[in-house]
Amino acid sequence: MRKAKLLKVFLTIIIITLATFPIIMSNVSWPTFTRDYLFVNALNETGASNTVSSIYLGYRLMDTLGETLVLFVAITGTMSILLNLHKHELESVKTQSTLVPEKRVKNALRTNLVEVVASKLGPIILLFGLYVMLFGHISPGGGFQGGVIFASAIVFLVLATDVKTKITNSHVLERIEAISFISLILITTYVIFFPEGFFSTIDIGSSFLSAGIIILLNIIIGIKVGTSIAVMIIAMMGGKHDN
Amino acid sequence: MNPDSLLLTPIFLPLLAASIVLTSKSFLPVKARRFSEYFGILIGLLMPIIFVLLLYPYVINQGSLFLVIGSYTPKIGIVYKFDSLSLVMIVLTNLLTLPAWIYSRTVGPSQSYFTALILIQSATIAAISMTNDIFNLFVCLEVMGLIAYVLISSKQEKNAVFAAFNYMMYSSSSMVFFLLGSFGLYRLTGSLSYQEITNALLNLSSKELNIALICLLLMIVPILLRVAIMPLSNWLVGAHSKAPHAVSALLSGILIKIPLFVLVRVFSISPILKNLTFPLAYIGSATALIGVIFALSQSDAKKLLAYHSISQIGYIITAWAMALNVGIDTTPGAILLIAALFHTFSHAIFKGLLFLSIGTATDAAESRDVYKIRGVNSILSQKGERFPITMICFLVGALSIMAIPPFNGFFSKTLLTYYLKPSINYTILSIAGVGTVASFIKLSRIFLPNKQIKEQTKEFSKEKFPFSIHLSLIILALLALLTGIFSQNIFELLENMFISTSKRPINKTIFFSQANIIKTLYTVLGGVLLFVIATSKVGSKVLHKLKGIKTDFTDQYFHFAITITLLSYFLFV
Repeated sequence: MRKAKLLKVFLTIIIITLATFPIIMSNVSWPTFTRDYLFVNALNETGASNTVSSIYLGYRLMDTLGETLVLFVAITGTMSILLNLHKHELESVKTQSTLVPEKRVKNALRTNLVEVVASKLGPIILLFGLYVMLFGHISPGGGFQGGVIFASAIVFLVLATDVKTKITNSHVLERIEAISFISLILITTYVIFFPEGFFSTIDIGSSFLSAGIIILLNIIIGIKVGTSIAVMIIAMMGGKHDN
Repeated sequence: MNPDSLLLTPIFLPLLAASIVLTSKSFLPVKARRFSEYFGILIGLLMPIIFVLLLYPYVINQGSLFLVIGSYTPKIGIVYKFDSLSLVMIVLTNLLTLPAWIYSRTVGPSQSYFTALILIQSATIAAISMTNDIFNLFVCLEVMGLIAYVLISSKQEKNAVFAAFNYMMYSSSSMVFFLLGSFGLYRLTGSLSYQEITNALLNLSSKELNIALICLLLMIVPILLRVAIMPLSNWLVGAHSKAPHAVSALLSGILIKIPLFVLVRVFSISPILKNLTFPLAYIGSATALIGVIFALSQSDAKKLLAYHSISQIGYIITAWAMALNVGIDTTPGAILLIAALFHTFSHAIFKGLLFLSIGTATDAAESRDVYKIRGVNSILSQKGERFPITMICFLVGALSIMAIPPFNGFFSKTLLTYYLKPSINYTILSIAGVGTVASFIKLSRIFLPNKQIKEQTKEFSKEKFPFSIHLSLIILALLALLTGIFSQNIFELLENMFISTSKRPINKTIFFSQANIIKTLYTVLGGVLLFVIATSKVGSKVLHKLKGIKTDFTDQYFHFAITITLLSYFLFV
């Protein structure tokens, strides 16, 4: 029984390797059309000097919308499983404090050190996340990356129990998420009613704002990603967090 | 409105509706949430049908509509193509999602996020049916798979999460190969849209062409996995039987068939892929037969239905593969494709009906063992059902799947086997039909009156039977009857869309010929005979052994590898 299983695993690995080998190891020259085309036209057509941004928020915005949906659905699924789990085991396991002299009653797994560092770093990381979102069209970064940084900042603020802020409340986060989702859909839909075409960019004109709708999309995607991941992590840390 | 902007309504209206549902969930009180869900279904599921039907004249006149999103150059941007196939797929999805949603209102899962997910799913299917770009197809398939995973796990039943996780691991890890295949194709051709790839493949050397074929194969096998063709169908039984009833109806009815019709487009990329269609037709017939044998051996009512889904998809695959083999431009090919579509439609209706009625029955009986449940009617009437609608609707579904006139299953199966006639596929599918009859006789026994509790006090309890269950069942049963009676008109409608005027067949009265009626009679008799054999001592021993066959995670990947080997053998040798 065990031998048959090992044989199956072995055969599967060999077949799959053989099948993928020619694709990975082929020495076919890379296609150049897209590269050259983007090099010449990307800035003019979309207004973003970061070509990566011009691709994922310009030429292939439909795919990005799909990826946002993938993230949204994955988080919805995780949340529903997590909430079902919490229904079954209401009392989480209480552990002893990590540092003996602190003698903590609340949040036994944390220490003063973690709380202080997290409370100081949280706002700075929040600012950095916003920066990555806002400058996605001219420098490396963008909505998804900025969003994840945003989420980690919120997690820091949750860890720091002394910080009084509404942004760590999962109800508030869910509301922000819903608004950002509806505005993402609305922005991508609005052009249906304009004849010039889908996802065409608004030309605002001046220097760094020229990317128009790409900046807007970066911010919205960033907030959407950030809030939804933060809600999920807060649920993983033990249900809803209310200050 | 110009047709280009109508084209994207089936994608964006459901998404808009989903976002409205979610926003109202986090801002509004419970009653307003309910209202917003109804509103969302109205604009997300029903309005797109109207908009898509408005495009019908364009499809008839022009054949297909092209759109490059963002009006960039087609070599860079994402190309969408709307043709008759997309139209049928979108209408089918939106029309048949509705009864499942109505059913879920009282039985659950009834949270707002369920409505939102169903809407997103409808949008994704619309995108899949129109996209002409392999990477966009990848993204859409990912969203579709993930939604299925979340929907399955939304039931708090034992093992539901495990079944969902099994399905997700299996399908996502196979999608890696899809991604690898699309990477290989991009590297060889420098493009992602079907049309450009087809053009570029003409200029490749024979060695490069072989690599391209491997890439295409790696894209086709994961899609076939979603369709649950036989060696790749292990995930389906767990996933479809553990899911909530409404979700089972949705998964079996719609989700496993959409990828198959996407493959029509993928197969059009290279003419060499035609080599695959003949073996696929045989695999399809084998799937139909083996699925039915396994269904006969099951004792769990929902597992039995899940195996029937595999069996029926086998019918569809056979017709679809033969259509591609003959070429969908020729008359027999187009009729086979129409037959596959028609059977998809009728299977979605009757399988939805069966899942929902059996789900209601097993919930009432609090057991899913076919051998133990008896007298469902009296149990249901204790729960407040005054008229045995559940049983009648189940019988409509069962008669449809057994291919008995005047229900839709008869017409779609007749049409489907019409052009297969002299081949061995026809024989295998006929035998599978016999097995279907036998296993549904077995399943129908749960409605037999219970002998142990004879005269029950005819006292209706004050409980009110949920109206939404009856509504969804009646909608589906009426659809099954109406699509049966008006099958001629449906056939002509599909004919208008898929076959050009000059190539249409003259003889259209293939449905009610005497030979077909006699064949149905023989099938039913054979089914009864088979049922008698199966309940005999020897038969039940064999079936018990079949039921004992178990496959684990390793086997799934092993089957995946075997399928790749087999298909590459047919492709290259």
